[in-house]
Order: sequence, then structure tokens, then C-alpha cells
Amino acid sequence: MLIAENLTKIYGQQTALWQLNLEIKAGEIFALLGQNGAGKTTTIHCLLGFILPTEGAAYINGLEVTKNLTVARKQVAYIPETVMLYPNLTGAENLAFFSSLAGFKYSTNELEAYLTYAGLQAEAHHRRLGGYSKGMRQKVGIAIAVAKQVKALLLDEPTSGLDPKAANEFSSILKNMAEKGTAILMATHDIFRAKEIADRIGIMKEGNLVSIIKASSVTTHALEELYLQMV
Amino acid sequence: MTRLLLKNFVRAKGLMLGLLLLFIAGCISLYIGHRFIEQNKETVEQSAHFQQENIERYVEYNQSSIGTLLYYLRFGLVHQAPHLVGLAIGQRDINPSVISVNIRNLEEQKYTSALMNPMYQLLGNMDFSFVLLYFFPLIIIAFCYNLVSEEKEEGIWDMILSQTAQPLQMLSIKLGIRFASVMGVLLLLLTLAGLGLNIPLDKAFVSFCLVAIVYVVFWFCLTCLVISFHLSSSQNALVLLLSWISLTLILPASVHALSTYLYPIPEAYGTVLESRDGYHTQWDKPKEPTIAQFHAQYPQFSSYNHPSDQEFSWLWYFAMQQMGDQHAANDAKVLAEKLRARGAFSQAMGWVIPTIHTQLSLNSLSQSDLLHHLHFLEALEDFHEDKRLYFYPKIFENAAVAEEDWSDFGLAFHQKPLEISGAQTVLPPLLASFLLLFLARMNWRMKMFIEKN
Amino acid sequence: MQTRTVGLLAKQVWRNTVKNRSTIWLFGVFNLLLLCALLSGYQYMHSQQLLALENSEEVRERWVNNPDKHPHRMAHYGYVAFRQKYPLSFFDFGMDSYVGNVIFLEAHRQNTVNFSAASLSNGLLRLGEISAGMVLQLLVPLLLFFWGFSLVASEREKGTLKIVLIQNVSAVELIAGRALGLFYLSTVVFLPTAIIGGILLGLSDLGLTSIGLYGRFILLLIAYVFYFGLLSWLAVLISAYSSSSRASLIRLIGCWLFFTLMLPKVSQLVGQTLYPAPTKIEFDTAVEEELIQHGDSHNPNDPHFQALKDSLLRAYGVESPQELPFNYSGYVMREGEKLSAETYQRHQENLVGIYQKQQQVVRLTAMLNPYLAIKNLSMAFSGTDYSAFKDFQEQTETYRYTLAQTMNELQIQHISNKVESSADKKAIISRQHWEDLPDFQHQFLSLGQVIRQESISIISLMVWGLGLFLVTNRFAQHLKAF
Repeated sequence: MLIAENLTKIYGQQTALWQLNLEIKAGEIFALLGQNGAGKTTTIHCLLGFILPTEGAAYINGLEVTKNLTVARKQVAYIPETVMLYPNLTGAENLAFFSSLAGFKYSTNELEAYLTYAGLQAEAHHRRLGGYSKGMRQKVGIAIAVAKQVKALLLDEPTSGLDPKAANEFSSILKNMAEKGTAILMATHDIFRAKEIADRIGIMKEGNLVSIIKASSVTTHALEELYLQMV
Repeated sequence: MTRLLLKNFVRAKGLMLGLLLLFIAGCISLYIGHRFIEQNKETVEQSAHFQQENIERYVEYNQSSIGTLLYYLRFGLVHQAPHLVGLAIGQRDINPSVISVNIRNLEEQKYTSALMNPMYQLLGNMDFSFVLLYFFPLIIIAFCYNLVSEEKEEGIWDMILSQTAQPLQMLSIKLGIRFASVMGVLLLLLTLAGLGLNIPLDKAFVSFCLVAIVYVVFWFCLTCLVISFHLSSSQNALVLLLSWISLTLILPASVHALSTYLYPIPEAYGTVLESRDGYHTQWDKPKEPTIAQFHAQYPQFSSYNHPSDQEFSWLWYFAMQQMGDQHAANDAKVLAEKLRARGAFSQAMGWVIPTIHTQLSLNSLSQSDLLHHLHFLEALEDFHEDKRLYFYPKIFENAAVAEEDWSDFGLAFHQKPLEISGAQTVLPPLLASFLLLFLARMNWRMKMFIEKN
Repeated sequence: MQTRTVGLLAKQVWRNTVKNRSTIWLFGVFNLLLLCALLSGYQYMHSQQLLALENSEEVRERWVNNPDKHPHRMAHYGYVAFRQKYPLSFFDFGMDSYVGNVIFLEAHRQNTVNFSAASLSNGLLRLGEISAGMVLQLLVPLLLFFWGFSLVASEREKGTLKIVLIQNVSAVELIAGRALGLFYLSTVVFLPTAIIGGILLGLSDLGLTSIGLYGRFILLLIAYVFYFGLLSWLAVLISAYSSSSRASLIRLIGCWLFFTLMLPKVSQLVGQTLYPAPTKIEFDTAVEEELIQHGDSHNPNDPHFQALKDSLLRAYGVESPQELPFNYSGYVMREGEKLSAETYQRHQENLVGIYQKQQQVVRLTAMLNPYLAIKNLSMAFSGTDYSAFKDFQEQTETYRYTLAQTMNELQIQHISNKVESSADKKAIISRQHWEDLPDFQHQFLSLGQVIRQESISIISLMVWGLGLFLVTNRFAQHLKAF
């Protein structure tokens, strides 16, 4: 579903990403671990078509992203580290707006259902976003991603800054989506979370994907040691 | 999506406050325009009344000599203003709208100025054209400077891009809402102006509205170009503010300075000195050449002559007065020509500087510009000449004062028939707008991929 | 407050801003703009001065060269006075372009001062003029706000503010240091202007310069320095007070618009509404009606002049005016001139009073608005304010009155009472008398007068300085580090 082929991004003298090869199948959760600046976000941005790769290509559902931007974007959803939305609109209105950007039109009931599914308490649905906490905004972000009904989901450190309970709920939503056949790529610092929900874990260092580990093959402790060794 | 973007727009307090302020400023300007029209009307009524009174009084005192009477009598010509002048007062507060002249030397009476507190001329009239020229662009800038950069700086832009590959559509809706709101205020103000100031919906008013609309369109296109560079909010604000200052302050002022430098008018002083000397020196000269010149100018009065046994005659007196105008004629002609040249120069600059074009067009449509005043002065010359030609034979024959029906001499009115050159009125800023919009489109396409860093 | 710390902080502002390439560009653009404004202003002023001088000489020559004639003819021949531009007017055009330049002075009649630059322009002038004063008052503040909006706010955003404050720098020192640094930047724009202005001032060869002129120039410069100091301080204070640099920028631009665009317009509207001024026709009618009430010298049966005649005849014990030992019509005209001049003067003073009240409203808002304060002050020092024009108008009226009355006196003394017409040989006096009338010389207001007129503006700048100082002291205790 998500394919990176020799994906390379060079800014001037600096190599942000070097010949990354990766394939994530439908229903699979793939976690990217690595320090700041290791190339995780660059990978995600290339897959989203936010940036042009210097070399190589990114594919979503068999379509090369940069050449089929419009169609490719329709098939992928994205949740950034901090979901920022319009503070003057309510949660439901934000969801309605972003869905309509993607070409979906939902009734109020449907909007509420998505928000509830994403874990946002009902009383907040029609409050303006200006008063939301970070976790609440993140949930609206999830609702937007879910409502887009996509085959691939890209997440950039989505649980950082969330309290443990919210992070937990978040994990179960991701698992649920994967079970329905969504390919998920998640960049994270959180080794424990990665081990818990991912099928495979990739470790990145200085733009290179140095290792891919099957999550079920290691314990959390072993994964941590491995990570510290590599980076 | 439009509905939601509209909601978001309406809920932004700052933006609504901006619209409100714009509307209030517009209303104040309409009030100022209304007051100006009323004052103008009052001036005309007062002048009419005053002239009548004046004529009656002098006729009463001077029953014996029509020459003495016409030495004093003054006849007013009104430079009629359409009601549209309330929207663009232009030069009307500097140039008087009624000039009263006696049939003596015209040059001494022609250039009289209105009474006005110069502080107000320095600070400027806040008429509608000012609000349009200065406030509308500011509001447009405030509405649009962060059209894209706001989303970027708030971190919303990534979310938007991940949802659609065509953010331009959403931006056009956002821009459209802003455009519609500003245009709404403009049209509302123009409607209020039409109703409140009793402006007839004629060609002039329609053209006036068109010029105003095109000006607003121009500023939207300019902001589009600036935001298509994807700079930060602060940078956008700075660039737009600098454009505003250049277009509304620096460039017009430079063009004005250039026009005075290119066309200096020492002749203005010349008219004063020449007309004064032209007349007064005749007193010390033999009478015959003066009268001969008068006859040369007016062959129809050749039959009248200065009675050789008398020191003074009105024929001689008015012939002397005529010399004042004759001496100053050349300077007066050059003065008018140079003023026209200044006008033409600024008009030409208007093709490249839309603010200049708009101001000049608005003034021209409301007949408050220099060219209309010059036209009025020409009409004044004709008016003055008519009065002379009418009264000269009566004076020379010393007709009885009582024979004339003096109540007939009310104010006369002048208004230049409206001339609108269709293309010239809106074309230059429209062309500039298209150019800017085209550049913005090109620029946007080039920056379609939002490169980080 | 430690001066060393303040100096250090100021230097940091300087270094950081100058490092930026755009700063160098802005320095260049502003200096170029100011240079152009100064040179073109000087060129314009000089050409106008020359024109006025040449024309004045011409007027004098023509006056003196009049042949022997009846003095009343000379009273009608009259004089033409030209308003001379003050040698500093190139620095700030002020109201110069809106007031007339030439006035025809004759007996019996007060003409308007005509041919203002504005009346010879086609409306573009109404969009403002570029002079060094305008750039310094209007545009340089914007530049200062642009350099200053982030000086404290962005440090807070970046988190460096905490570190600075922990290093034992007090909030007052921080604000003072930043403001001083910003002020240094303004001098780069201001100093060249001051120097070039001074040089241009010395260049004038028309004999109009005086020692007071340099005094005024120096005071003008001091006023500007103070103004820039105020604005630097204001910019930093707002930056310190704002939660983000964007908010700070918007606030400062808002201040700028409010001060330069909104407040002057609104105050002028208030002034005009509170103190309505008469139109020309109203004014003329009022003067004329009052004159008629006093006595109309054109009406042979007017009771006032009839009474005058009777009393004269009685005093000299003669039967008819022709028997009086002096020229009777000259006497009547002297009385008439006195009466009409007094009446006109009263109305004119009333009108000027209204104008000044209107201006007072605007001037009072200068208490809220440093822009108007410096504008008024700069105009006054540059000799381009209303009082300069009013003074010129008064001088011309005095001269006109003197001229008319001198001619009337000559008539009373020298002209026989029995002449039939002014062309009569007995009605002619020597042209020598023309030369005895001194030339009209436009005198400029003295420095003392100017300072007295503009005391409100000076006070308002002081009040602003004091106010900012107090606000800073109060506010500094609550400066948020994050």
C-alpha cells in the first residue's frame, strides 16, 4: 500500500534521507523510531507529497505520489505531532470543513459519530476549538483522518504530549483501523508504544533506515537496548 | 465548505471590527460630503441674495450715471457642482464655486480664492474618495495579508494539504468571502451615498462606482500577488504596507513634485503685475492710443468716441480697464496652458499608478478637478465678456438707469456637460489588476510544492 | 539601573539589526528618499524665493517709476506683496502649499492672498507632499516600529528572555537598553539628513538667512531626536507588553494608523463642527453690511459722513467743503479707510480666531498624539505653519493701510481743494513721494514667538516622555518572562 523506493532527499550539503526502501502492506502498522533529525518526518512528508524527493519515488496504492498528487492525496490521511485547527470553529465544524476539503459531506449525526469514535466527549463536539486541550485537538485530528476513509494513514509522533490514558485509547483506535485494512506508518520516539502496537519497527539514523525488526520477535527491553546501540 | 469558511470569517472579531470601522469611516465621509453640498448650496443662495441686494442698493444711489453704477455692480457666475461632488470634493474646497465679477479688468478678479482653514487642507478632507483610496486598501491588506501564512504559522496548513492537493480552491473561497465583504461595504456605502446625497443614477455616478470597484479589485489582485510568494505574515504585512505607502503617499507626491518642477508657473505672478500695470499706466498716457486699441478690439463701438472737451469719459475708463486684461492675456494664456500640461502629465502617470488614476478619475467625474475649474474660468471669461458687450453701448450712450430691468440680473450658472471617455476611466487599473493576477497565478503554480526550509 | 548593562543591550540591538541585509537596504532607501526630499525641497524653495524676490523688485521698480500724479491714483495703483518662503521651509513644507503667495494691496479693498501651490495643482497634492519633515514624521516611525516590534516579544517566544532576566538584568534596564539600541538605528537615518539640511541652510545666498535661523534649525533637530527617542521607547514597551511578536507588530501598526490617519481626521471634523467658519461670501457680506451701518462713503446722503462734514464746516467756520484749508475728499477717504480697515480687521480677527480655535482642537489631540505634536512643532520651526501665514497676512494689511493712508495724507496736504479732476495739473504731486514710501518687506516671526505659539506641542512631547517613563516603571515589575 505504502512504498518508498530509493527515497532520497538532500538539502544542499545535508542529506536528510538516503535511499530509503520500505513497503507497508494493507492492515500493517509500521513504526519508525529514531532521534530528532533522523529522517522520520522527511519520509512522511515525501509520502504525502509535501516535498519532492531528490531521488527515488514514493507510492501510495501503486500510484507515484508526485505524479498523481491529487489522486494519491485522496488515499492517505495524516495526523501531525500537534493537530492545529481553526480556533473559531467547533470540533464538529472543523471536522466538517476538513472532510469537505477531501470531498466528503457528512450529516451532523455522522460527524458526531466520527468524533465519538475518535474518543472526543459529546459535550465538546459543539464547542469552539479555541478552548480545547491538546489531547482533544488530537482526537479531532483522528476523527478527520478516520472520516477520510483512506487506505493509508501517516502519523508524525501523534502521541507525544498525550496523557497515558489518551495515548492508550489512541493506540486501540489505530489497531482497529489496521484490522479494517488500513496501512499505517507512524513516526515516534516512544519505544514502548511502538512495540505495543506496531507489526514492524524501523530504526532510522542520519537519514538511513538502519534496521527493521518484527515487533513480535523482541521484548520491549531488548528493543530499547537495540535502539540505544544503533543510534 | 463555503458556509464553514464564512462562519470562521464572521467569528473573527478583528475582521468584523475592521469592516465596521470601514463602514463608520465611510458614513463619516458621506456626512462630510453632505455638509459640503449643503454649504455649497448655501453659498449659492447667499450669493444670489447678496447680489440682488447689492444691485438694488447701487441702483438706488446711482440713478444718474449707468457708468458709475456698472463700476460697482458685480455679477456672479456659479460653478455648479453635481451632487457627486460630495463623494470627491477634490479641488472644490480651494477653488471658489461662485465668482462675482464687475465688468472692469477680469484678471484681477479671476483668481480669487475661497476662505478655508489651511490646517484642514493640510490634514485633508475625509471625503469618500479618501476613504476609498486609503482605508479600503488598508482593510484589504488586513484581511488578506495572512491568507495563507496564518494557516502555515498556526500549523493548519499541513492538515489542509494532507486533505487535498488543491488548496487553491479553498483559498479562492476564502479570498472570495473577503472580497465579497469588502465589496459589500463599498456597494452599501455607494447606495447610501446615492440615497443620502441625492445623487442621480446617471452615467457619471455609474462610472464613479465602476472606478471605485476597479480600485478595490486592483488592491485584491495586488495582495494576491504578494501572498503568492508564501512569505511569513510579518513579511507580507510589511511588503503590503510598503506598497500602500508607495502607492498612496510617495508616488503621488513624487508625481506632483515632478509636475511642478517640469512646468513651473512664474506667469501666475505675471498676470497680477501685468494686468495692474496694463490698466493703471494708461492714466498717465495720452487717451487716443488707448481708445484706438479699444476700437481695434471692438470695431462695433467705433462710433463712440471720447468727447475731446472732457477730462474723463467712461469709454476711456473701460478702454483702460480693457488694457489690463490685454496686457495680462499672454501670461494668463500660458498659465492656463501650463496648468493643463500639469494635468495631462499627472493623467499620463495615472496609466501606471492606479491610485493617481483613481483619484483623478473620481475628481473628474465629480467635476472637482483642475480641468473643470479651468473650464469654469473660461466660462467666466465668456460671461464677463457678455456682460461687457451688453453694457458697453448703454454706458457709452449713458442710457437711463431706470430703463434696465435690474431684477433680471440673478446669478448665472455654469456646468460643463459630462464627458466620459469610457476606456480611460477604468482601463488602466483594470489592466494592472489583470497583470497582477496573472503574475500571482504563475507564481502560485511555481510554488505549488510547498518545500520545507 | 546600570548604564553598562543598558549600553550592552543597546549594542546588541544594533549588531543584530545591522547584520540583517534588509536593514542595509532600508538604510539606503530611507537616506535616498530623504536626500531626494531635501534636494527637491531646496530646489523648489530656492526657485520660489527667487521668483518672489524678482517680482518684489519688479513691483518696487514699477511703483517708484510712476510719474507725477494724483496720490489717490497711486493708492489705487497699489502694491503687490509676495509671501517669502522661510529658509527652513524646504525641510518641512507644512501648510506652505495651501496658503496663498501673492496679494494685491489697494485702497478701500482687502483682497485675498492668491495663487497657493494647491490652487495650481490638480488634486494630487491632496494625497500629500514629500518633504524631509513628512518622511521623518510619518515614515521613519514605521521603520522604527518594524525594527522594534520583536525586540522583546520574540525573545520571549524564543525563551531567551528568561535567560537574560536571570543574568541580573532588570526589566527597566532591558527596555531602556533595547529602546536605546533602536534609537541608535534611527540616527543612521536622521544624522545624514541633519547634516545635509544644515549645509543646504548655509547655501542660501538670498540674504534671508539670520542667526535665529540656525537656532531654529537646531531646536527642530532636537525636537526630532526627542520624537525618535519617544517612538523607540514606545515600540519596545509595546513589544514587551505583547504576548507574541505578531501581536506586537499589529499593535504598533495600529498605533501608527490611529495616530497618523484616524486621529487627525477625526479631530479636524470635531473642530470644524464645533467652530463653524464663515464662507467667503458670508464673510464679505458681513463686512459690507457692517460698513453700511457705520456709514457708506459711496452714498452721498449717508448720515455718518453728513455729520462729519457738518462738524468740519462748523469747526473751520466755512460754508462748503471747498473752502476748507485742506483737501476735503482726502479727509473723507482717510476716515472711510480707517473705518473700513477697522471693520475688516475685526472680522478678520474673528475669522482667524475661529480658525485658531479649530486648530486648537487639533492641537489638543497632540496631547494624545505625538505625531501631531511633532508635526506642529516642525511646521512652526520651519516657518510653514498657520501663524507664519497669519503674520504675513497681518503685515500685508498693515502695509496696505499705511499705503492708503499715506496717499490720503499726501492728498490732504498737497492737493488743492478746488481741483475738478485728478488729471488737473494742480492735482499732481511729485513722484519723489513714491520713493518715500518704504518697500514691503516680509518679516519672519521671531524664535520666541514661535516657541510661545507651540508651547502645547512642546509640553505634549514632554508629557509623552514622562508618561512612558512612568508606565515603564510600573509595568516593569510585571514583565512576563514567558
